[in-house]
Amino acid sequence: MSSSVSQLQSLLPRESLLWIFAAQLAVLLPHTMHLPVWLLGAWIIAVYWRLEVFRGRREMPGRMAKLVAVCLVVAGLVLTYRRWFALEPMVALLAVSFTLKNIELVSRRDALLSLMLAYFLAATLFVFEQTIPYAVYGIGCVVIITAALVAQQGRRSARPGRALGVSAKLLAQAVPVMLILFVVIPRLGPLWAVPQNTKAASTGISDSMSPGDFSELSKSDKPALRISFDGAVPPPEQRYWRGLVYTHFDGRRWSEPGAADGYPSWGRGRSNRRAYNGGNGDGSERELPAVGPRYRYQIIQEASHNPWLFALARPHSETRGVRETGDDTLVYRTPVGARLAYEVRSWPRELVGDSEGLSASEQRRNLQLPASGNPRARAWARARFEEGLDAEEISQALLSLYNRSFVYTLKPPALGADTVDEFLFSTRQGFCEHFASSYVFTMRAAGVPARVVAGYQGGEWVEQQEYLLVRQYDAHAWAEIWLPGRGWVRVDPTASVAPERIRDGLQSAAAEEFMQDAFLPLHKIAFVTRLRLQWDMINYRWYQTVVSFNSERQEGLLRRLLGEVSSLRMALFIGTPMLVALLLLLVWLKLSSRGPALPVASRLYLRFCRRMARAGLSRNPGETPGDYARRIEQEQPRLGPMAVRITSAYEKAAYAGDAQAEKQLRRLLRGFWPLRLSAQARASARV
Amino acid sequence: MSVQPINSHTSAGSPNQTGVKPLFRARWLRWLNRRLPPTQMVTLDHRKLFVLPTGAGMGLLLVIFLLWLLGTNYENNLVLALAFLLVGLMVILPVHTFANLSGLRLQLLDTSPAFAGDYGQARVALSKTGKRHHERVQLAWPPEEGLLADILEDDAREIRLDLPLLQRGRVRAPRLHVQSRFPLGLFRCWSWVDLDAEFLVYPQPKPAGPLPFGASVGEGDQQKSFSAGGEDFAGLKNYQPGDSLRHVAWKQYAGGRDLYSKEYASGSDVRLWLDWDLLGGRDVEVRLSNLCAWVLEAERAQVPYGLRLPGQSIDPDLGAAHKHKVLSALALFPVQGVSQ
Repeated sequence: MSSSVSQLQSLLPRESLLWIFAAQLAVLLPHTMHLPVWLLGAWIIAVYWRLEVFRGRREMPGRMAKLVAVCLVVAGLVLTYRRWFALEPMVALLAVSFTLKNIELVSRRDALLSLMLAYFLAATLFVFEQTIPYAVYGIGCVVIITAALVAQQGRRSARPGRALGVSAKLLAQAVPVMLILFVVIPRLGPLWAVPQNTKAASTGISDSMSPGDFSELSKSDKPALRISFDGAVPPPEQRYWRGLVYTHFDGRRWSEPGAADGYPSWGRGRSNRRAYNGGNGDGSERELPAVGPRYRYQIIQEASHNPWLFALARPHSETRGVRETGDDTLVYRTPVGARLAYEVRSWPRELVGDSEGLSASEQRRNLQLPASGNPRARAWARARFEEGLDAEEISQALLSLYNRSFVYTLKPPALGADTVDEFLFSTRQGFCEHFASSYVFTMRAAGVPARVVAGYQGGEWVEQQEYLLVRQYDAHAWAEIWLPGRGWVRVDPTASVAPERIRDGLQSAAAEEFMQDAFLPLHKIAFVTRLRLQWDMINYRWYQTVVSFNSERQEGLLRRLLGEVSSLRMALFIGTPMLVALLLLLVWLKLSSRGPALPVASRLYLRFCRRMARAGLSRNPGETPGDYARRIEQEQPRLGPMAVRITSAYEKAAYAGDAQAEKQLRRLLRGFWPLRLSAQARASARV
Repeated sequence: MSVQPINSHTSAGSPNQTGVKPLFRARWLRWLNRRLPPTQMVTLDHRKLFVLPTGAGMGLLLVIFLLWLLGTNYENNLVLALAFLLVGLMVILPVHTFANLSGLRLQLLDTSPAFAGDYGQARVALSKTGKRHHERVQLAWPPEEGLLADILEDDAREIRLDLPLLQRGRVRAPRLHVQSRFPLGLFRCWSWVDLDAEFLVYPQPKPAGPLPFGASVGEGDQQKSFSAGGEDFAGLKNYQPGDSLRHVAWKQYAGGRDLYSKEYASGSDVRLWLDWDLLGGRDVEVRLSNLCAWVLEAERAQVPYGLRLPGQSIDPDLGAAHKHKVLSALALFPVQGVSQ
């Protein structure tokens, strides 16, 4: 079916159009989660129009119509976003460009351009999400786009089975190259600042704490952190993952200190210069403790869309973009828009106390109280102070107050204006935030510098302690007080009411109330729980091996694979698989191009050998034609003369290139049926 | 017959149709001739095939680069992995594109003669030498569009390729462009095959008035017309009033046919001669074109005709073989001709 090139190539046939639309739809669908929905509508209209053109019911849009379409879509984008240097508007712009391309999809060139754009748009999906389902979907998209490329090669190739088959085959062959490049190509790190995903709502612990926030978090069993340790593991009661320090209290809400006041870090005296230790590289600026770090661990944090990270006290991180704050916590240079892995080393406080005192501004910040409110709590604190108790004794008194008659519950009664007073002296039912808030308030009222720390506490081991899974319901708030000579000391008022909360986690501490509002009480079914942990495990491995594969891990892996990373070994590492692949390809080419290789004479002679074999006398391997003929003469004398003639004809035809001999060989073979001859011989012998 | 100088005309015959410098082109053609010498049967293999990315392939390379930038800036390994996957695709694709053409055998079966200004047609057999299919093979004499062929399960197929022919004579076909972009259109594999095809091109027929019955510009020897009436029976012609009644073919008339008169010739020649000399004073090519038009007309009228050219003559006759012989003589007439 040869046909004119012009007919087949200038206009896009139906199947080629349909494939392009299929590829576009596959790519566009998941994007509807972050892009405005009207974009999908615009796409559908464009596709409908193009199909109408194909059916001949409508004309290709004129210049005016195209202009109007472009203006409408751009206006839509402007109205939706109002700002351009962000991720979503850029992705939206890409989606818009191939949507608009559809209404002028005429030639092969347009088709290919559209599919190239589709590849790019498919990749932008991963900027939003890097989970396994998305990765699988992304692979699906690439297979479909490639199939659409295959389908541009004519009707035969456009059949769905064949297009997808060819596409999958080609991509499968490309995978080895991808793996090698993935391991070998250096990761340069960001070349310039790029817009981040901004639209997503932040999740997890927020930058302020008011009553009710944490009980809200306790309803979610979404993973927050996954922590794996290198070496020593802190005991359960030490697993406090500090995230934020709230020092400012307005009577109801605790919040972070104003970003404006530069607060000192714990290498005090010298670090007033800078609030943050600027990322990796200048750890030298800080006076690291003489004693080695107690804990080394890696934290993989789920996207929170907040910049703060979580770590044990006294953290130090070398991971790019991670900085330490004056409040002994870690922050990331941007809000964490996707899963983030960071390595942390922590020195426990017992080993390195703060020998110097608090600076005046620190003192002020950590004693700040609203001008009025909560008079009973203030009075209680003043009384303790006037009794002459020191900071530790006051704290002890307060904790024993909690211990006596307080109830730990996820559903505390609502509080009025004086939250601390009401909680301490009337309701006496609360959640960690109530305890932390009232504790810090009272301590401050007694003149002890104190602050609220928010983060996560505890975690659940997965797969024989491979990693600790911390979920949103592990969110916790506790307190730290300043003790002269010892520095900041952690005090967890919740622990004195519900020690099991700290030891065993929320699930056992508030068994009755835990996840009551969940749609399905899945956490109560052991099998489902196990399954979910398994899935989390897979996710963790995926994240560990693929998503967080960075230059350090790359170096580690290469070192493990190669022993040492030298240019020779690298060359061998890259070159050997390439050579093997090339050889395999050559073998394949050779094999698949092997056709009627044997000359005619040889084929005819082989036919003779087959017939002889059927008659019970097969040629031995390696036996020359001459020897074979002589053997036939001896063993089957009746066939002998014929075999000799055939053999000599073959030899002449094959080695002397005698065309006449070849003809003779053919003629001789026509009458040579040894099986029939011997049967006849036998029959006549019987007669 | 004398050996005719081949009116060689390498019209479209350039792999580089765009105006490349002549020196470079000559060198390129020399190189091609060494690499792919003219032969009527060619099996494409690694020595004869070239592979390069197409525009779309370059486009994909750009996409890969942009993806690498995106992946690097967002430190996003999945984007990088996708970019590397596409690199992998670009690495294996040339092999597939090459394999699609490699092993394809082209054999020139024959060429049909044509009139100048018309299309000549070459029959070419395409066949597999191995098990591999050859898909979307595009064959063309650029700038002609040529055609697309698939050689799949069936081992061989025959195609007809058209080449526009402008000048009479023996025309050597330019190199044939064999190309395929299979499977993704991101790479193209091509070859310039010289199938050693030669077209015989007759002059373009140009009307020269009615057939020159009986006309002869004699040199005074035996070929005279108007000298009917002799002893030798020459044939029958329609009776016309005035013909001698002695010559009426009564036998045929009695048999129920029309009235014919017998013609007798006596050494004189009344046959139709298409004579070069009848068209004196015209340009050589125009003369040949006019003769060509007469040949066609005589063939149509079924009148036997002969041809006289300087240095050769073909006796009158009719039929396809005769026509071909006459037209060939016209086609191969030396360019310079013979001036009168």
